[in-house]
Amino acid sequence: MVSPTVLATLVLGAYPLVFIVLTALSESSLGQPFQDWVGTRNLQHALGDGDVVASLVRNVVYAILVTIASTALGVVGALALHTATRRGSIARTLMLLPLITPPVVVGVLWKLIFNPAGGLLDTLLVALGYRGEPVAVLSSSAWAIVGVGVADVWEWTPIVLLLVFAALLGQDRAIGEAAALDGAHGFRLFREITFPAIGGTVAAVFLIRLVLAFKVFDLVFVLTSGGPGQATTMPAYLIYQAALQQFDIGRASSITLLLAVVVTIVTLPVILVTRRLHRD
Amino acid sequence: MSLRPSRRRRRPAVLAAVVAVAALGLAACSSSGGSGGSDDASDGGKKFAGQSLTVIMISSHEGAAKWLSTEFKKETGATIKPVIVPYDQIGSKLALDQQSGADTIDAAAPWYVSLGDLASQGAIQDLTSWIASDKKAIDPSDFIPSIYDAYSKVGDKRYGLPFDGDTHVLFYNKDILARNGISGPPKTWDEYLQDVKTITQNESSHGVYGAAIFGQKSPLILGASFANRLAGYGGEFLDAKGRPVVNSPEAVEAAQALVDVNPYALPTPAETDFGAGNSAWFAGKVGFIENWTDLGVRSEDPTSGSTVAGKWGVTTLPVGGSNTTPRASLVAGFTWVITAHTKKTGLARAFIEFATSSKVNAELLTASPPTGIDPNRKSSLDSAEYGQEFPEIQAVNRTTLSGTLAWPTGKHATELAQTLTDELAKLLAGQGGSAKDTMDRVEAKWKDILGD
Repeated sequence: MVSPTVLATLVLGAYPLVFIVLTALSESSLGQPFQDWVGTRNLQHALGDGDVVASLVRNVVYAILVTIASTALGVVGALALHTATRRGSIARTLMLLPLITPPVVVGVLWKLIFNPAGGLLDTLLVALGYRGEPVAVLSSSAWAIVGVGVADVWEWTPIVLLLVFAALLGQDRAIGEAAALDGAHGFRLFREITFPAIGGTVAAVFLIRLVLAFKVFDLVFVLTSGGPGQATTMPAYLIYQAALQQFDIGRASSITLLLAVVVTIVTLPVILVTRRLHRD
Repeated sequence: MSLRPSRRRRRPAVLAAVVAVAALGLAACSSSGGSGGSDDASDGGKKFAGQSLTVIMISSHEGAAKWLSTEFKKETGATIKPVIVPYDQIGSKLALDQQSGADTIDAAAPWYVSLGDLASQGAIQDLTSWIASDKKAIDPSDFIPSIYDAYSKVGDKRYGLPFDGDTHVLFYNKDILARNGISGPPKTWDEYLQDVKTITQNESSHGVYGAAIFGQKSPLILGASFANRLAGYGGEFLDAKGRPVVNSPEAVEAAQALVDVNPYALPTPAETDFGAGNSAWFAGKVGFIENWTDLGVRSEDPTSGSTVAGKWGVTTLPVGGSNTTPRASLVAGFTWVITAHTKKTGLARAFIEFATSSKVNAELLTASPPTGIDPNRKSSLDSAEYGQEFPEIQAVNRTTLSGTLAWPTGKHATELAQTLTDELAKLLAGQGGSAKDTMDRVEAKWKDILGD
């Protein structure tokens, strides 16, 4: 009898992977998969498409930057919460708000904030005395991706914060207190005592956050539709367009495979660091 | 301490996951039988009494869906169950419904551009022989000819019947034009640009702009704005042999016209979708807006929140270059199709025959609350009631009677439209080089897609 573990692995991992590989090697539409075997033609087309390659590069830079931002803010927030733990229950509850908000609503919320005609940002700038052209973050080739990143960091930083906070609660307080008696304070206390204790958790959370950042779709879909131009187009958005707007599953699977390779290359060092920190 | 849970703890978790997957599978299997049933007509009472039909329509047709459901039930006894989806998701919803085996959808009213792709996937029925054999009831000769072929034909077969004869025209706010010393609507795209500049320069500090330009990166939005200019400059998407001509001088001029107006439009075109553009129009914040003719109906509707009732005018799209004849741009028409897997073909035929009939089209044009439907029939376009209630709209709609510009509709048409839109979005964002560079790239990509 097949064990549940093997069955779950086959259903959740192997089957989708095999399906993606086979559709990438075939002419497949949404309604009629596997019409014809085309070898590596779909992959070659995807690799020869400047928009696909640019989206993969953009995705790597975006994922690394928002992950660093989320992790840094999450760790700082967790430390602040830990030092004020008695007064932190309301703050912890508030921190859950972005996490429990549906991603589409997060997108709509930030679209309203960035709206150049009376959005929150525009209103604040006017209140501060700004009288120039309306600031259109999401229409700027340079700033649109920053706008998406800010929304992304707002949405996912709380998960970093809560997991690191849980790790801080698991620390042996006596060690910290002993170090403090020996004169360790502030950043030195964090570097010598706290971080070694929670490093494994931080690395694991960094890995989770990195994967989440690579998968960004909802925010791009709602905020910019990948624009202006291709400024915020990520592979996940191209996959959506190919599969559900053009019904070209072969192309969608090819981009998925390329994305999988890129994600593996970028996350592999992080996985190794995470394992090492856990062993230590 | 080990991070790994004990074997005893792991087993229930894995089992739960497997049970969940199995339950989802069973749910999917059971739902496939949900739309079963025959289309045998009931002899007693109304013809389709007690039967139901599930149809997909876009969100802006929600009013029409309610009207059709009510009236079709009165006429036949059948219940229409509309599934309302965003305007660009009918095709994918239909394909997923069929691929999953659920087959819950019997008929749909997609954007006519997706006809070829839906037909090539075997998702919709070939209606050619039915239309030919039921000519008396369907009355194809009354469809506006340019709309009929564009909205139904793929190759030499017909897969749909026109429902919403959408064409863009130019609306203008009379008060804003008067305030800025503009005596009347522009005849050419150059005059239009000048008027837009004037209004924006004079009034943007008060939140009033020359025009709302639909520039969001979607074929139905940015693609439509380009198509309006392409029609005005006298260009085409494909030549008579079906080969791309999107880097013609007319197409390049059309793209350039879009670039030129971009800085003077309601901020910002890249973020302007139907909601943002129409809201600005109803609030009296823009001098011009290119829109479907039914915007005039809604501008007069007290329930739409319009502040421009009685203050607007409408004219044909401007012309440009060597073209001096106004042309209709069939940017977003919708057409009724019958799904390939439905078990209710008879009822579906009866419904789309009803929904696309001359009588129903005429009634939908003037129904209140507005239904978002534009003329698809010569008789409804010329109807006295439509002319009496909306004489200006009726006049500009007559441009659909000849020389229209329609999107390609064959296999890969959806991809063609998306490719064009992506490149135009790059052009407007300053990432695509010149208008000529952009249209050359589109031409090359279209040739590649069509295997030219």
